[in-house]
Amino acid sequence: MTATEPGTIHNTFVIERNFPQRPARVFSAFAQPALKRRWYAEGGQVIQEFHMDFRRGGSERFRYRFQEGHPIAGSEIANESTYQDIAEDERIVMTTRMSLNGKPIAVMLATFEFVPAEKGTDVILTHQATYIDWPDGVKMIEAGWTQLIDRLEKELAQ
Amino acid sequence: MRNVDQGALSIDRQFIDRLFHALGDPTRRAILDRLVERPESVSRLAEPLGITITAVMQHLEILEEAKLVRTEKLGRVRTCRIETAGFLALEQWIRDHRTAWERKLDRLGELLAEKDAD
Repeated sequence: MTATEPGTIHNTFVIERNFPQRPARVFSAFAQPALKRRWYAEGGQVIQEFHMDFRRGGSERFRYRFQEGHPIAGSEIANESTYQDIAEDERIVMTTRMSLNGKPIAVMLATFEFVPAEKGTDVILTHQATYIDWPDGVKMIEAGWTQLIDRLEKELAQ
Repeated sequence: MRNVDQGALSIDRQFIDRLFHALGDPTRRAILDRLVERPESVSRLAEPLGITITAVMQHLEILEEAKLVRTEKLGRVRTCRIETAGFLALEQWIRDHRTAWERKLDRLGELLAEKDAD
């Protein structure tokens, strides 16, 4: 690590996953808000808002806070997305700006392809992103941990 | 923060160090390969590996500390068998280090399977 390193990191990754269900079923879990909320938004965080308008040009907003006990509990992550392209049962292309407490920390382009396979559906996620410098990040995590250790100390002292 | 995950932070760092140290040696992995088949005595483990009983004992000690193997003295024979605790911790570590998207797709798979059962 040098001081001259630029503050942005660029990254692309691809995840392929087979699901035994047919493409229309798998696609519906991305298209129906109640279903998408369950696998995408829920799980280990306090949901502030999850709203999606599933059509080309439509937007999705997902805001959540880290739970009590997390090193940066109370901090808010907001994902603001736009559905750039939708081909039913075949493809979803979306862009997302991820912010931490109102400050952008990543801008992402995610392409989901739903390919009929011998058994069910192959979902191919191609995820491209620019991660933006987060100068407060280390400080915030450190402060969070200091708080946690203080609490642990008190707990043990009882 | 992007990679911070509560589960990953909650695992005992020292234990994970011991686990990967134990698995980092080909002789110790060969011992595990044998023990997944069936329990063995120390001397029978030593024979095909072409090492002394003392050397096997040293490897077993490291495997025991990593909770990958359990040994037990029955009569005059020390018997070794697989211990699941280390493998469970390893699985947990791997799960915690899957990316956020992989974890989301795990949940999607569970949701789809659940609806199939309806």
